[in-house]
Amino acid sequence: MTHTITRRMLCISTAILTIAGAVPLVTGAAQAADSIKLGIVAPMSGPNARYGAFSMRGAELAVKDINDAGGVDGMKIELFNADSQGTPVEGVSATRRLIDQDGVDFIIGDVSSSVTLAMQPVAEDAEVLLLNAASSNPKITYQAGVGGFKWTYRNYPTDENRALIVAKYAAEQRSFTKFAVLSVDSDYGRSAITFTKKYLPDFKGQILSEDYYKEGEVDFRSVLAKIRDNGAQAIIMYGLADTTPIVARQMIELGLAGKVTLIGNGEFNTEKTIKSAPSALEGAVEAAAWLPAFDSPASKAFVEKFTTTYKEAPNNHAYVHWDTVNLLAAAVKQAGSADKEKVRDALSKIKYKSPVGDVSFDDHNQARLPMILLQIENGKPSIKGAYTADIQYPAK
Amino acid sequence: MFSTVLEQFVNGIVTGSVYAIVAVGMTMIFGVLRAINFAHGEYYMLGTFGAWFAIDYLGLSYEASIVVGVLATVVVAYVIGQLVMRRMVGAPAESGVLATLGIALILQNAIIFVFGGGYKFFAGGYIEPVSILGFSLAQQRILILVVCLLVFVGLELMVTYSRLGMAMRAVSQNVDCCGVVGIDVPQVVLRTFILGAALAALSGVLTAPVNVSVYGGMGELITFKTLPIIIMGGLGNVRGTFFAAMILGVAESLVATYVGLQFRDTVGFATLILMLMWRPHGLFSTQARF
Repeated sequence: MTHTITRRMLCISTAILTIAGAVPLVTGAAQAADSIKLGIVAPMSGPNARYGAFSMRGAELAVKDINDAGGVDGMKIELFNADSQGTPVEGVSATRRLIDQDGVDFIIGDVSSSVTLAMQPVAEDAEVLLLNAASSNPKITYQAGVGGFKWTYRNYPTDENRALIVAKYAAEQRSFTKFAVLSVDSDYGRSAITFTKKYLPDFKGQILSEDYYKEGEVDFRSVLAKIRDNGAQAIIMYGLADTTPIVARQMIELGLAGKVTLIGNGEFNTEKTIKSAPSALEGAVEAAAWLPAFDSPASKAFVEKFTTTYKEAPNNHAYVHWDTVNLLAAAVKQAGSADKEKVRDALSKIKYKSPVGDVSFDDHNQARLPMILLQIENGKPSIKGAYTADIQYPAK
Repeated sequence: MFSTVLEQFVNGIVTGSVYAIVAVGMTMIFGVLRAINFAHGEYYMLGTFGAWFAIDYLGLSYEASIVVGVLATVVVAYVIGQLVMRRMVGAPAESGVLATLGIALILQNAIIFVFGGGYKFFAGGYIEPVSILGFSLAQQRILILVVCLLVFVGLELMVTYSRLGMAMRAVSQNVDCCGVVGIDVPQVVLRTFILGAALAALSGVLTAPVNVSVYGGMGELITFKTLPIIIMGGLGNVRGTFFAAMILGVAESLVATYVGLQFRDTVGFATLILMLMWRPHGLFSTQARF
């Protein structure tokens, strides 16, 4: 008897709880009209935490400016944040959390290509607009737009473009022919090398050794000794910003500084990195989506504003997240509503003025954006040009 | 060819020295507690953070920061030892695993909470390269080697001759008999634990200048690298741990050179599996001690 009562009580209380839970959901849907719920998925801890912190600050700065100016057509942007730890598993649960618990309609994320690739199907299933701002693996937009995922957009140049211009510059301007690969073991590091290999034979370049490091690796002595002995002129490194100082320091330790040049991408150009190992980074060549020294009034204004707000100069990730929030706001304005479907359609047709040039999206939802090539000269980055390449999508 | 192999051998020995100092603490704690300390890498991290804090916030020299880092870790280890580790005496093995894993999470996230999750740049140390045997090496690495040797000679003497060392051996052999003859077992456990944590911290501070970066999650990898070492060395065996650490260090260095850097971490885990399959009692003893 007692059992029956308890069970019945359980049923009733569950029912009450369910109804009680549904009420705020209904009212929540009514509220959504006057605010734009935007989630940021970024690595806030783990080996890529530095990227996450910069991304978040960039986005916060843009949101603050937009909201202070009265919002987009009177709608304020509400910012949510979820930690991906830079791993696909955590990235997916962070995305789910933003969609299920915070009820966001728009997500900007992640920095790591491996995480973004894992997030794409989640966003697609939930029909939430995933606007990527910082992943460079070409596959992300190979499989977006007419390629498949209708809800993925990318406002960032790809590794294909990057690999081509770095290889071209290294061969033609620096006359390197012998290369060693030392990249991060991820979708970003590996795909950049795949495309480098595609273009290197055009410039008579040759790869002598190929190594990939795990995130968090700190001991590069073995590999650098091998590179010293095999006579490579340059190390092709598509790596993580936090690892660059470690590699550069150990290059000095092994006597490679000044003899072997770093080329690729991994924040070679920040003051902090150069200061950690000036002789190893002198002459380094990097292709980046953006850098603080980029010469345009809007870009300079952003650097100044960011620096006064956070007492630190912005990096690439701060910029692209700041820019992508502004892009989203422009799309909402053009759509005339925060309805995610209308915003998506507006994004496909948008002509947006970004600080690095005019942005529009192709039929794979990929923004046409330039890569900026720079070289470290006398301890300072010197810009050598900005190159846009049309992407050759693989035939389906 | 020969000089390359020799150089990689030396690289391996240096890496092995770092592992050895961390692993010996872990193996001693296992000896007296019969519990793997999954938070061991966290004391390595704490030591490094203490030193980084001393240099960046207090403006101290690197030498002084070594003392600050190790002392800070000793204080934390004393608190954790009093609150948690002492109670592990005689407790079932699962409680040790759960308690130490919990401590690992708390320490790691407390550091991330206070200092943020990003990499910090460690500025101190002797990073100037010197040339020996035809290849160059940072002075700091030579310091690591020397300190490792001193630590092991010291531990060997302590375990053999000192009162605490004898008590540690007694506790690792039979806890009940220790009680009968009047050895304060929880006290021995506490002291061993603090000693082990201090050694891990020392290893962290010594390695920081060559590893450059300091961050909350840095201890995790070290914990997993020390696992195969203490099993290879024979759980609780100080001398065995030293040789096992050197073997793993050299093997990792050779694999990184001749197979590929991406396979480096595989060495430790492969060793762990092989050891557990064929010689779970370690390389240096003929029968299982526990």
